[in-house]
Amino acid sequence: MKRVFTKEKVQMALWGIIGLMSILLIWQISVMVTSLGRIMPEPIEVVKSFLISSIKPVGRYTLLQHMLFSLLRVFVGFSLSGVSGIILGIAMGRSKTINSIASPIFNMVRPIPGVAWIPLAILWFGIGETTKYFIIFMGGFAQVVVNTMSGARKVDKTLVGAARMLGANKRQEFFRIVIPSSVPYIFAGLQISLSTSWMAVLAAEMVSSYKGSGWIIITGMNNGNTVQILVGMISIGVVGLGLANLMRIIERRLCSWRIQGQ
Amino acid sequence: MSKTIKFKLISVFSFISFLIIWQICTDVLHLLPPYSLPSPIKTFSTFFVKISSTSPDGSVLPIHILASLQVALLGFLSGAVLGTPLGITMAWNKKFDMMVKPVFDLLRTIPPIGWIPIMILLLGIGTQAKVALIFVSSFVPCVINSYTGIKQTSHIHFWVGQTFGATNSQLLRKIAIPTALPFIFTGLRVSLSVAWMSLVAAELLAATRGLGYMIQIARTIGRADIIVLGMLLIGSIGGVLSILLEYVENKFVKGGV
Repeated sequence: MKRVFTKEKVQMALWGIIGLMSILLIWQISVMVTSLGRIMPEPIEVVKSFLISSIKPVGRYTLLQHMLFSLLRVFVGFSLSGVSGIILGIAMGRSKTINSIASPIFNMVRPIPGVAWIPLAILWFGIGETTKYFIIFMGGFAQVVVNTMSGARKVDKTLVGAARMLGANKRQEFFRIVIPSSVPYIFAGLQISLSTSWMAVLAAEMVSSYKGSGWIIITGMNNGNTVQILVGMISIGVVGLGLANLMRIIERRLCSWRIQGQ
Repeated sequence: MSKTIKFKLISVFSFISFLIIWQICTDVLHLLPPYSLPSPIKTFSTFFVKISSTSPDGSVLPIHILASLQVALLGFLSGAVLGTPLGITMAWNKKFDMMVKPVFDLLRTIPPIGWIPIMILLLGIGTQAKVALIFVSSFVPCVINSYTGIKQTSHIHFWVGQTFGATNSQLLRKIAIPTALPFIFTGLRVSLSVAWMSLVAAELLAATRGLGYMIQIARTIGRADIIVLGMLLIGSIGGVLSILLEYVENKFVKGGV
């Protein structure tokens, strides 16, 4: 029974194509018939422009370079927030003293969305790269801390007891039991934090920047260039999808024991 | 008992010392200029001044808060009212699922903030564009969560229902939806926080009133006290909204997971 094209799969693809086609058709017709055509381009035009701008520069760089600039910013900010979030989260989850010191301040900062830091960040660091790293950091940090903390708290007491009975010292207990059992929680936090980081970088670039994916769509808006906005949105969607899948692949590698168990 | 009191005391002490250090760094030692970081006392007094003062952005504080809340709740409610049934229908009807899922998967990869320019271009900088934006951003998590909620209903429960002669609509109303409720509420909670965040982003870019607009104007003239005040308000209103939703959830969801 190794037939790849089962009846179900063919049916699924067929209905999927019908769905996508009908959306494109509605788009095409509404552009042609109604007054929407004055601001919205035809779908084919967007695809064409997407292909052209991968080679021809938009502003100073090509579409691909803009995407890479945004990704680089996300990478720096996200690494910072990930590492420091995991450290603080584990410390707050394992030690009641650290938790009671840090939690009142943390709880005050946590509900403020990363986007709301933009004005203050610009006042503090100017409009350079540091501002963007800071905004991405603030956007992703809280989520990692919250998830890591709950992971570090939910360590199975029986496992810790067993390790102690078998003569594990504090360090072994920490690295062999606490860390592995909170990894799934940490990953859930990192996953959310990565998508928030991607959103934060867009917002930061839209407010002040001269390159990046957010710059493309905001310049499109300022010039009334709808094609450029839609091309930018497609590239943002592609990158977002890629990031989410990347995290899922890494998680599958690192927590394979958990996924098999589910 | 005495241990909990001890940790409570540490918390209170840490918070107070945080405020004192902040105060000393700004007002006493002047390590940072007031246009980049205001002292806590200054922020606190700005709050009372801003309640009745329209400078520098043309509206008093309650108007900004009401404007933001109105847009956020309008967009959130319409997203939830349309998104949750769509998710349930997608999970319940296979043909509909196969047709809509690819389109939905395509749209949901675009983060809410990416919708801002096109919405502003199509609908202007008024309330309409913002409500549409928040609708899109809260719609997606509602659909995803209600979809997963229905999909993970145990088959055994359905079999029991069928054995006792339940009709299709009874299976949906009596078994699938109650099982999915915790998931649906998780979706609502995610939507609400995303909605609040994208509203702030939209107001930073184009608005005439609202909390995001207030902090953006305060930045251009270097009034850091208004920025910090605005940020704290944005944070606390977001927190209050999610607590309210949790309260509703506890009323509706019986049992829990």
